[in-house]
Formats: sequence, C-alpha cells, structure tokens
Amino acid sequence: MKRVATYCYQCVAGPDLLTVKVEDGVAREVEPNFAAAAVHPGGGKVCVKAYGLVQKTYHPDRVLQPMKRTNPRKGHHEDPGWAPISWDEALELISRKLVGIRKTGLLDASGYPRVAASFGGGGTPQSYMGSFPAFLAAWGPVDMGFGSGQGVKCYHSEHLYGELWHRGFTVSPDTPLTEYLISCGANVEASGGVAGVWRHANARARGMKRVQVEPHLSVTGACSAEWVPIKPKTDAAFLYALIHVLLHEAPRERLDAGFLFKHTSSPYLVGAHGYYLREPASGAPIVAAALEAKETHVALEIGADGEVLGEGRLEGETAFAKLVAHMQPYSPEWAAQICDIPAARIRRIANEYLDAAHVGETIEIEGKTLPFRPVAVSLGKTVTNGWGGFECCWARTLLATLVGALEVPGGILGTTVRLNRPMSERHKSVRADADGLMAYPFNPTDAKHWSARPNIRNAYRSMVPLAADGPWSQALGPTHFSWMFLDATPPGLPRVTLPEVWFLYRTNPAISFWDTAALEDRMTRFPFVVAFAFTRDETNHYADVLLPDATDLESLQLIRIGGSKYIEQFWDHEGFALRQPAIAPRGDARDFTDIATALAERTGLLEPYNAAINKGTLGVRLGEFALDVATPHQSAAIWDAVCRAASFELSGGKESNGLAWWKEKGLATKPFPRTAWYLFPTLAAKGLRFEMPYQERLLRIGTELGRRLHERDMNWWDRQLAEYQALPAWKDFPGLWDSGPQHPFWLLTSRSMQYAWGGNVGMQMIKEVADNIAGHGGVILNTATARRLGIEEGDWLEIATPHRAVRAKAVPRQGIRPDTLLLLGQFGHWATPVAKDFGMPSMNSLVPMSMELTDATGSGADIVRVSLRKAA
Amino acid sequence: MTRWAMVADLRRCVGCQTCTAACKQANQTPPGVQWRRVLDMEMGEFPDVKRAFVPVGCMHCDDPPCMHVCPSTATRKRADGIVTIDYDLCIGCAYCAVACPYQARYKSSDDALRPDVATKCTFCVERIDAGLAQGLKPSVDPEATPACVNSCIAQALHFGDVEDPNSNIAALLAENQHFRMHEELGTGPRFYYLWDRKA
Repeated sequence: MKRVATYCYQCVAGPDLLTVKVEDGVAREVEPNFAAAAVHPGGGKVCVKAYGLVQKTYHPDRVLQPMKRTNPRKGHHEDPGWAPISWDEALELISRKLVGIRKTGLLDASGYPRVAASFGGGGTPQSYMGSFPAFLAAWGPVDMGFGSGQGVKCYHSEHLYGELWHRGFTVSPDTPLTEYLISCGANVEASGGVAGVWRHANARARGMKRVQVEPHLSVTGACSAEWVPIKPKTDAAFLYALIHVLLHEAPRERLDAGFLFKHTSSPYLVGAHGYYLREPASGAPIVAAALEAKETHVALEIGADGEVLGEGRLEGETAFAKLVAHMQPYSPEWAAQICDIPAARIRRIANEYLDAAHVGETIEIEGKTLPFRPVAVSLGKTVTNGWGGFECCWARTLLATLVGALEVPGGILGTTVRLNRPMSERHKSVRADADGLMAYPFNPTDAKHWSARPNIRNAYRSMVPLAADGPWSQALGPTHFSWMFLDATPPGLPRVTLPEVWFLYRTNPAISFWDTAALEDRMTRFPFVVAFAFTRDETNHYADVLLPDATDLESLQLIRIGGSKYIEQFWDHEGFALRQPAIAPRGDARDFTDIATALAERTGLLEPYNAAINKGTLGVRLGEFALDVATPHQSAAIWDAVCRAASFELSGGKESNGLAWWKEKGLATKPFPRTAWYLFPTLAAKGLRFEMPYQERLLRIGTELGRRLHERDMNWWDRQLAEYQALPAWKDFPGLWDSGPQHPFWLLTSRSMQYAWGGNVGMQMIKEVADNIAGHGGVILNTATARRLGIEEGDWLEIATPHRAVRAKAVPRQGIRPDTLLLLGQFGHWATPVAKDFGMPSMNSLVPMSMELTDATGSGADIVRVSLRKAA
Repeated sequence: MTRWAMVADLRRCVGCQTCTAACKQANQTPPGVQWRRVLDMEMGEFPDVKRAFVPVGCMHCDDPPCMHVCPSTATRKRADGIVTIDYDLCIGCAYCAVACPYQARYKSSDDALRPDVATKCTFCVERIDAGLAQGLKPSVDPEATPACVNSCIAQALHFGDVEDPNSNIAALLAENQHFRMHEELGTGPRFYYLWDRKA
C-alpha cells in the first residue's frame, strides 16, 4: 500500500490537500493529507466531495476512449450515435477544423471569435486542464463568454463592486477574529469549503455570534445562533435599516469618525449636480473640514464627459452628510413592512453589531498595530446577484465602513482580485487615481474610446464598465447574452453568431444555467462541439467529439496554493501543490497536457504554445528552466520544468526540485504574512481613501454609458442604467419577480455541499450520503403550507411558472417561510449516468433568461415565482 | 483501564457527511450501509425552529442490548469497551439489529466482505489495534484514530479514552455540558454529545 499526495479543486473553496491510498495499482481510499495540517487553514482535511474521486475514477459509465457523433441531427431526443474512434482520428478531426479557421480568419464577419470555450465556474477547471491554457493563449482570440452559470450562480455584484471598493472579488469575514457576523444568505457551511467550515466551527466555539438572515433554515442557519426568516429579495431593506439605526439612532461618536474622515471619501464635498467639488487648479476633490458639513469654495463641478456643471463659488455638502439624509427614511419600522421582520429585532441586531464593533480598539499582528473591528456582514448568492445585488453590496460595505471594519482585523476582507492586476497579489493592485481613491480599470465610457463593437458575444466591454477587460472579464459580463442574442441581437450590436468550434470542459450549462430548455435549443445549432468528457451529460449530448481526459487521480499538474484567494482561502502560508497520477489512466484516457500539446502541434502552434508555457501560463514563469519551443514535450517534462521553476521561486533561487521531488512531497510552502490579509494598511500608507459612501465614479460612468448607447439608439439597456446611482435608493426588488396571484410562492435554491459545483453528481456514494440531508429528495416546503394544501411528505408536486413546470416530491419542513419553496442544488439530469435517475428537478429549467431580470452588472438572480399543486 | 469513547460536538457539526463518506471508504461498506451517518433534525415550529446535525452509529454501550440477544455469541464487548462482531460466528439472524435502540446495525447481501452478517461501526478497531501495536496513540496519531474522526472538517468528532482524566475527551466532557442518547434505557452508551459550555 502507498499513499499518494494530491489535491482536490472541484470547487472554488479549495484546494483541499489529500492523500490517496493505493493498493496493487488500485485507488482505494481518500484521506486528509495530515502532512499539510500545519500549513493548511483547514487542518489538511478534505471535504466530502473529494471522497467521491475513487468512484469517479472507476465509474462504470466513464468515457474511456474518444468518440465521434454519427447522428448529424442534434436534439434532446436524438441519439448522438457515439462511435469510438482513435485519438489520432479525433485529433485530426478537430485540428482540421481549427486549421481551417486559421486560414479563414480567427474572427467572423461580426468580429466575434470563431472559436469559443466554456469551462466550469470559478476557474476550477484550470486546475485540471494541464497546459490547455497555453494552447488557448497560442491560439489567439477565443470567446469564453458563453455562460454556464456565471452571473446567476456566482456572487456577481460582490465580484464587481467588491473589487471596486476594496479589491474584494470575494468578500469574507476575518473569521479567525470576527465576533459578530450578520450573514444574509451566505451559506458558508455548504459553500466555504474545508477552511470555511473549520474556521467557523472554531469561531462558534470561541463565542462568535452569527445571525443568519435568509428565507429558509440552511445548514449555515442551523449552525448559527439566530435565524431571521426574511422575505426573499428584501435583504437590501434589512441592511438599509441597520444603517439607519447606526446613523440616526446611535450616538455619532459610536461610529469610527476617524476612519470615515481620514480613510474614506466621506468628507468630499458634493456639488449641486451630484459630482464632487474640485480644486480649480488641480482638479482634486475638495475635502471638507468636518465629516458633516456644508461649505462654499471656489471650485469646479465636473460631470460626465468632462462637462463643467458649475464654476466659481460653489456650495457643497459632504458625502457623509448626504448619506445621512439619504438613509433617513429607511427606519426599522419601514423595513419591517418589506422584510417581514419585526422592527425591534432589526434594531436589536443593529445595536448588537455596533456593540461588537470595538470602535477605537487596536490589535497587534506581526508587530504591527492595527484597528480591531470584529464585526462583519456576509452576503450569499441571490443576495449578491441580480437586481438588488448592488444595493446589498453597497450596504454591506458601508456597514463595515461606518465602524471602521473594512479591511482590518476582525472585519470584512476582500480575499482576492480577478479583475484588477496583478491577480496574484491584491496589494500590488492598489494604485492611486486622480481623486485620491483606488484606481479601477473601468471599460471606457467616454466618446472617444467606448465601442459598440464587442470583442466577444456577451458584449461585456461595451455594456459593463465594471467588468474591466482582463482574462476573467469575459466570464464576468452578461454571459447569458451570448445565448440570448443568438436569436435576437439587440439594435446597435453586431449580429451574434454561432462559434464554429466550441470547446467544453467540466461544465454542463444545459443543467447549470438559466432557462435550460432554451439553451438546449440553441446548442442543437452549434456546428462543431468538442467536449472533454468524463461521462455523457446533458451538454455533451450535443457534442460532435468526446475526448476522455485522464481524471483527477490520473493526471499531472502543479498549482499555486495559499496566500489569499477565494472565499475563506486566506492562509498563513503560500506555495504549490502537485496533482499526480495515483494510478495509471484508465482505458484510453489521456493526460490533458499531452492533448494540448498534440493540438498545438497539429495546428501549427507548437512554438507559441511552448512560448506561452515558458512565459508563465501554467502558473510559473519558467525562466532558466524554459522549454525548447520548437519541440513537443511530454506532460512529465513540461511539469518537471514547472516544478523546478516553482521550487526556484519558492526558495528564492536556492532550490530547483523537479517532478520526482514534488511527487514525493506533494506540496511545498513558505510563510505568508497575516498582515497581508488586510488591505487597509496599504491604502493608508499610500494616502488613499476607500470610496465610501458616495459613488461619484459610478454616477459618472453610468451617465456616460447612457449617452453612448443613446447616441446609437440603443435604448434596451435603460433600466440597467438606472442602477448607476451615487447613493443607491431602495427599489421594490421583490416586485420585479411578481407573476401575479396564480404564482404566490418564491422558489429558491441553496448550495448542497455534497454536490457543489456539480462535478460529482454521477457518484452513487455521494448520492447516498447527501440523502442524509433534507431536501436532496424533493422540494422543501413549509409544513403548515403543506398541511393547508393537503400535501403529505413524498407526494408528487407540480411547481410551475407561467411558462414551464417541473415535478418534485414534497419534503415538508418547519425551517422555511410559508411563502417559499426550496430546491437544493442543480439537478434535472436526463443524460448523466446515475443522476438521471434521481427524480430531482432543478429550478434552472424554470428561471427565465431575460433582459428585464438582468441588472447593470449583467447578472440575474436564482429566484422565480411559482405555483404549487399536487401533481396529477 | 482504557475505555474508548466518541464525542460529537453539536455546536461544530455541519452535517457535511464527510465522516459518513470516509467511513464508507475506510470500511468498504456497500451502498446503503452507513456505520457512521449524520442525522438532520428539526425542533420547534416556524419561525421558532432549530435544526441540528447529529452524528450517530454504534454507541459501544457498556451494556449492549445487541450482545444480550445474540444467539451465536458473535457480538462481544472487549475490555476497552469496543463492541465487536465475529463475522465467522454471526448467523445473520438480525436479532441484534432489532434490539439496538440506536438503529446502528446493518445486514446486507451486497456486502462483499461481510455478506449476510450483522455489521456496524467498530470504532475502526483494526486501526486502533494496529496503531497501538506500533506505539501510536488513538486521537493523536491518525494511523490509530477512527476514520470518521480523522476526516471531520469541523473538529466536531473526537475519540479517546474516557477513563483517562488527561485525555482529550475527558477534558471536553469536563468543560462542556453533554448528554448521551437514550440514556434512560441504561445501555451506557459511549458516545457523548456536547451542546454547550458549562456555566
């Protein structure tokens, strides 16, 4: 028996470090990597999903050799007629298409890439696709904006606004220190991974109070001190009422006035037109002498497109004073009517938050004295995406700002950047703009640089200034537009076309996106689809070629670990971990790196492909270990070079351990300073301010974007343009989903830890253990509601929108609002082995993909109004 | 005298079923057999509802009802408290499964290793014995600790010698309020549930 060290990165809350017991060449058992216990923030433990890897490896329905579609007709009920082919034939088939495209041109007549690629969420497939990113880099323009969940299944508003305000693509409480946490739907016990579960358990044990605010009692709610069953999509009203209490009921000295005055844009003077008053000579915003003041200065007020709106002696009011007035109407009594939470309870929670904030206290970390503010608000999916997401993110960040809990010990932390650069180090992404704030790489909205010619089909660069234009931006735009616009491109944009080749890996949009039937309809028209396939599934049902890559326990890759990354992945160490073959690949499955190399060779891209690897596309610049660019290299040789370069980097040039060393050790790390978790000291050192509470930049870019669109008669984005407000007002968010009295129920979903990210939905063992948690066998509804409707446990129910219906078994529970239904996870499979027999529907087939329900960041929310009745 | 026992901290357990999965792999139990599983329980009525996750399995009782009903003497109790089943003696009558008040016993014809005999959690007894033989300490050394405890991502499950006043679990029991399941039946279960700190 031997134990092989490797990692699991099936979800964004990873990686988990594990070992696999192997006997006689057979993988038998997954165990924690106890050798990593000292450096991993979850004790080197492994979440339940990784335990499915053994069954995954030996899955009886695995695709074990390349397959070719023989039935040219594509359709839900069409049998693809898969026929086994050799790797040579498969690669020839694909490369012939690709070479043809290179001859014709990489962009089509609309200016869109002829090649598209879709990968699963959060960048996790990149930890399994070996050197394929180098192939894509060598290829040139690729449309990676065909969504499979992005925007509706992620924390979309948090990603964009979080990066704007505090370099927080994902935002987490500083759980090791937080003492009071208000969690609006953040289901960290299911979505926070091992590090999240480990830390929150420790936090509870030491007395952290977590108040869980959500319509149903999730696993996180179960582990919280208090559950507040809020009405769906009213979180912004609840948060606004908390702010109201802090601003209008608590003595002002209980807020962190020093932080607000020195480290935020609160004292900036705002002119009559809503823009900052500026020094005439320098153009810099004028800072008032006090936090709450009206002052008159010789100033300029400059609006959108550089328009001078005021000049001379101008009166301005501080941003903070405007905030105080803005929040005045949002009392707990006001919110109580909207949220269905008693005003006294809202007020009590606000005061508990304030009491726990320790305003004025400090803590010493690594010899540095920092503010200590152990209070946080975390937001979950559906709260942070779709309409209302902006308001919730703003309110959450403001709640931290008011007590100085933004990016300090105990408060809220942005744990990684994906839109700002460098992505590897968020502190280095902190650069000054002309207004004393953190610069942000907005897509241009000025007349000279804005373009109505998008680079990809979802048009993120034209429509979403906050999406920026980096490697991740394609996935952070309105990724459903790629699908929607195929049939009806709105005026002003080039007609959206089908990609000529579409690559798929670890993604199943026919299950995981909105309006899955509509997606399937479009997939039938994709001319050539290449799917890297583990088993058959609902999306590769429409593919033309299936390629079996060697799976998790069979292939080779080195990734970065530690530092500060997604969710709760902020470590005291950083380094690298190796994924290595615990067993030989089954069947004819092939290491992804070898597949990528073969594609590069056959498409004449070997040199740029190797050059991309040398440049660092696989995570480390190879430097002196660079590969010969003219030669194809085996996977082991490529990763040996990467290992040596990683070792060299990690040791400061002292070591250059190769693949054999890494195979034995599994990982290597060096200390990562805890002070690097907190961005506040970096801003303070640079003399920069957080842009809170007033959003002058958003007001400006929104106004400019509106002008650009209207100049081209593009009026279909007007509703979204209204989101660009300097101080966001409450809108009737729940009303946006109203479908009339025939559809009185809210249908929600919630994370299933066992199935999160969907990759293990076909494992019998995962199904078995997941069924121990309520809701995996049907739709959860309130017990009293069930009684009222004459519904018994196990009855088949029909859940319907005006357009579609699904069936599910009744699971009556007390822990859900009477007006709410819950379908866990994302199921509704009809092709994936094992899962197709679950009898579990998904709300994804009911959620409409629509412009009306798309917010300004291009996201929608996982929520829909439905009717409910016993099925015939 | 050593008396092995399990402690589950209900403040920490999140119902993730990692222990269930780890147990299944470590002990190679067939589909549907879960020597360790975690119940998902609700108490109260909306909106005053509590939900708790409760790990269960064989309680390794001081006075195990399963042992008393066993007609073949396959079920026995070791001096260190672990209740064992001798699969060679077991005739698969399932009296024990009926007698166990914790529904901890299984019998499966799909169990390739233990066909048609009674099975249940063993506290990973082979692992403990092998570890002790190597001089390892259960609860400290993973090689000598039950798989479910090793796997727990919330540090909710603990294993140790309840008779050793210096053990990890003795400390947990001293510091926290705890209960045992169906204690009124007098079975003396050796599975303790922590639910709050002592005042």
